[in-house]
Amino acid sequence: MVFAAKVARRPSLNGWVSKVFLSLIWLSGCSSPSSTDATEGQPKRDTTYAVPWELVEVYMKAAPSPVQVALWLRQEKVPFIRGSLHDPTLSGRYGGLQGAANLGIYLTDMAYAHATQNYQDAYEYLSSVNRLAARYGLDDILSVERIRTLDNLQDQPDSVQKILTQYYREVQERLEETGQQAMLRHMILGGWIESLHIALVLLENNPSKQHLAQMISLQKSLLPLIVKLYAVDSTSHSTSRQILGHLYEIESALRDIQTEASPPVTQVNKGVIQMQFREGPRLSPEQISTIKQPVQKLRQHVIQV
Amino acid sequence: MKATLIATPLLFLYAQVPCKQLIPSCREAYLEDFSWDGRYWRAELYGGETTEIYYTFFPGLRYRLIPCGSSSTKAAPHLRIYNANRTLLLDTRQQGDRRYWDLELSSTQLMVIELYYPSGDGCAALLIAHRISMEASAR
Repeated sequence: MVFAAKVARRPSLNGWVSKVFLSLIWLSGCSSPSSTDATEGQPKRDTTYAVPWELVEVYMKAAPSPVQVALWLRQEKVPFIRGSLHDPTLSGRYGGLQGAANLGIYLTDMAYAHATQNYQDAYEYLSSVNRLAARYGLDDILSVERIRTLDNLQDQPDSVQKILTQYYREVQERLEETGQQAMLRHMILGGWIESLHIALVLLENNPSKQHLAQMISLQKSLLPLIVKLYAVDSTSHSTSRQILGHLYEIESALRDIQTEASPPVTQVNKGVIQMQFREGPRLSPEQISTIKQPVQKLRQHVIQV
Repeated sequence: MKATLIATPLLFLYAQVPCKQLIPSCREAYLEDFSWDGRYWRAELYGGETTEIYYTFFPGLRYRLIPCGSSSTKAAPHLRIYNANRTLLLDTRQQGDRRYWDLELSSTQLMVIELYYPSGDGCAALLIAHRISMEASAR
C-alpha cells in the first residue's frame, strides 16, 4: 500500500522546486467560505484549515510535472474534445477554496489545449487562469505576458521546461510565503479530478487508445495521497469531509483497475535499469462508465456555481 | 549522559555541513545532458532510517537517479525501488556501488523510492533528472 508505515525521515522542505504548475496541474475544492477567501492581490494566510506542508509536498513531488504530461499527451496524439472541458466564462464567479479548485481545473484544461496545439482555446483558459490567479496573489506569475513567452519558445522544449520550472518554483514559494496550503490543496484536487475526467472522456471516445488507461491508473496511484490531504481535517471541517466522501466513492470505483499488471522484467546493465512492464491496464466501456459516475459527482461539486 | 549531550550536537554538526553542500556538488558532477527541474529530496538518516520518495515516471524518457551523500562509515546511499503497491522491484545495493543510476520504464508508473544507508548515519539526498530516451529520439 502506498502509505505503508516505515521508519522514515521526511525529506526536507527546502529545495523542492515544482509545486506551482504542478500544483497547478493536479488539484481542487469546494465552496465553503474560509480563511482563504481573499480579495484581489491580498492573499490571506490559512488558519482554519491546518494542512501540513509536508503532506502537500509529498503529493507535489510525486505527481508528474505538466511538461511531462504534455509531452506524453503529444506522444499519444490524443484528440482535443473541447465540449468535455470546463466553461472558461464562469471563472469570475468563483472565489475562496472553490476558486482555488477551479484554478486547478482551468490550468489542466489549458495544459491539455496547449498540448494538443489548440492555442486559441489555451488562451481562453489562460484568461480564466489569470483572472482567478489574481485572487490569490499569483497573477504576476501566471500572467498572459509570461505564458506568451512560453508560446514563442514552442519549438525549443528545453527552454520551455526551464521557464516552467522557474514558474513552479515561484508559485510554490509564493504560496508558502503567504501560508496558503489549503488553497494549494484545493488546486491540486481540481487538477487531479480534471486530469482523470479528461482521460476518461478520451478513452471513452477512443477505446482503441488503451494507453490512456495508464493515465487513469496513475491517477489511481495518486489518489491515496490526496485522500490523506483531506483526511487530515475531515473531522473538523465539513468541506473536507464532503470531498473525502467523494474521494472514497472514486476509490471504490477504481478498485478493480490494476495499478500495474504484474511485476516488470527488470534488467540492469552498466548502471542502466530497464523495467519492461508486460501489459498495461485495459478498461472496458462498462468500467469507464462506472468510474465516470463518482468522478462527475465530485467534479460537479467543485464547478457548481 | 554528558557524552550524549556533547555527541548529539556534534553529530548534528557533522550531518548539517555536508547536507548544505550535497545538492550543488551532485548536480554539477553527474547531471551531464540531463534536464533537472530543481526538485530534490534530502534527509538526515540515523540508525537505519530511510526516506521515501514518490515519483511518477513516464515511458520514452531516461531518468537519472543521483543518490548523494556519505555516511559516518563512508557508505554510499542506496535505493530500493518499489511499485505503487509496495512490491520491491530493485535494490541497487545488489547491483554494486555507482554514483548514479539511469532508469527507463515501458509504461507510466508512480514509483516509491527508498533512500538509505547500508551502514552508519548521515545526510542523504536524491536528485532525479531526465532526457528523451535514445529509443524515443530515434523514432
